[in-house]
Amino acid sequence: MKRSSTTIWALAAAALAAAGAAHAATYSADPAQSRLEFLGTQAGAPLRAAFHRFTTAIDFSPEAPGTSTIEVTIDTGSVDSKDADRDATIKGADVFDVAHWPSAHYQTKSITKNATGFHATGALTLRGVTQDVPIDFTFATAAGGAKLEGLATLKRLDFGVGQGDWKSTEWIGDEVKVSFLLRLLPRP
Amino acid sequence: MPTPIRRYGHVAQALHWIIAALVVTQFALAYAASGLPLGMERLILMARHKSIGMTILMLVLVRLAWRLRYPPPRLPEGMHAIEQRLAHLTHALFYVLLFAMPLSGWLMSSAKNYSVSWFNLLTWPDLIGKNDTAFTWLRGLHDTLSFVLLALATVHVLAAFRHQFWLKDDVLLAMLPFGKKRKLP
Repeated sequence: MKRSSTTIWALAAAALAAAGAAHAATYSADPAQSRLEFLGTQAGAPLRAAFHRFTTAIDFSPEAPGTSTIEVTIDTGSVDSKDADRDATIKGADVFDVAHWPSAHYQTKSITKNATGFHATGALTLRGVTQDVPIDFTFATAAGGAKLEGLATLKRLDFGVGQGDWKSTEWIGDEVKVSFLLRLLPRP
Repeated sequence: MPTPIRRYGHVAQALHWIIAALVVTQFALAYAASGLPLGMERLILMARHKSIGMTILMLVLVRLAWRLRYPPPRLPEGMHAIEQRLAHLTHALFYVLLFAMPLSGWLMSSAKNYSVSWFNLLTWPDLIGKNDTAFTWLRGLHDTLSFVLLALATVHVLAAFRHQFWLKDDVLLAMLPFGKKRKLP
C-alpha cells in the first residue's frame, strides 16, 4: 500500500515535470541584448529614453499563455534620454522621484493569445502608484532562448509622473508609449 | 521735376519687416530664457524660440528667392562707390547671418538630442546625432553670431537714419510702403 502510493506520487511528479518542460519555460532577459524604452512628447517633438537596468522573470509558453507570467523590475534611476540635464529633471522629485521610488514594477495578471501575438493585462507600479496597463507582444523561440517584443501605452499622469509645472500636458504629452525587446535566455 | 522713389516691392517690404520683427522677438525670447533655470518656463520659451527660428529660416529662403527674381532698387547715384560696396556687403552679411543663426540653432538642438518642433505641428529631422562637444561649440557659435547680428543691425539702422535725416535720399523710403521724399533745399 505504502509502496504503491509512493509510486503514484513519483509518477505524478514525473508527469508534472514533463508537462512543465513541454508547456512552461522560465527565462530571464539578457541585459546586453535587451532594451526597454519609452517615447513621449516634449514641446511637440518626440522624447525618447531608455532604461539601462531592469530585471525580468518570465515563465512563458506560447501554448499555455493562461498560466504564463511576465514580471519586470525597472531601476528608474537608470533612465537615459541622451541628455544629462534632462535626465536630472526626469529623475527629480517632480517626475520619477528616483530618491523615493528607485524602482518600478510590472507583473502580468493574465495573458491571452490574439491574432497578432499575445495580449496581457498587468499591474504597473510606478512612483508608488499601481494601475493596470495592458501590453501587446509577440514571442518567438530563437537559438538558445527566445525573443519577446512588445508595446504598451500609458498615461504618465495616471502615475503622478509630472508634478507642479510638469503636470501640464500642453508641453509634455500625457501619453507615453513603452516598447521592449527582450532576448530571453533559459533560467538555470 | 521730382524723381519717383525707387521702392522695394510690397512682398520684399513685407518679408523685410516680418523677419525684422521676428528677429527682435528671438533676442527677447533668448534673453528671457537665459535667466531661467531648467524647467517648464524655459522649455516653453525655448520651444517658441525654435519655432520662430525655423520660421525665419523658411522666410529667408523665400526672401532670397524673391530677391533673385525681383532685384532690389538701385542705391542712389550720389552714393560714393565705397559706400555702395559697404551697403551691399552689409546686406550680404545679413543673409549669411539669417541662415547661419537658425541653422546653428537647429544643429545645437540636434547635438543635445532635443528635436526641433515647429509650433507643435511638425518635427524637423535631427541634423546630427547627440554630441556634447559639438553642442558646446555650436552654442558658442550661435551666441557669437547673435552678437555679430546685433552689431550689424545697429549699423543698418543707423545707416538708414543717416540716409533719411542727413543725406535726405530715398534709401529708407525704399523699404517703406508710405512716405514722400523730402524737398531738397
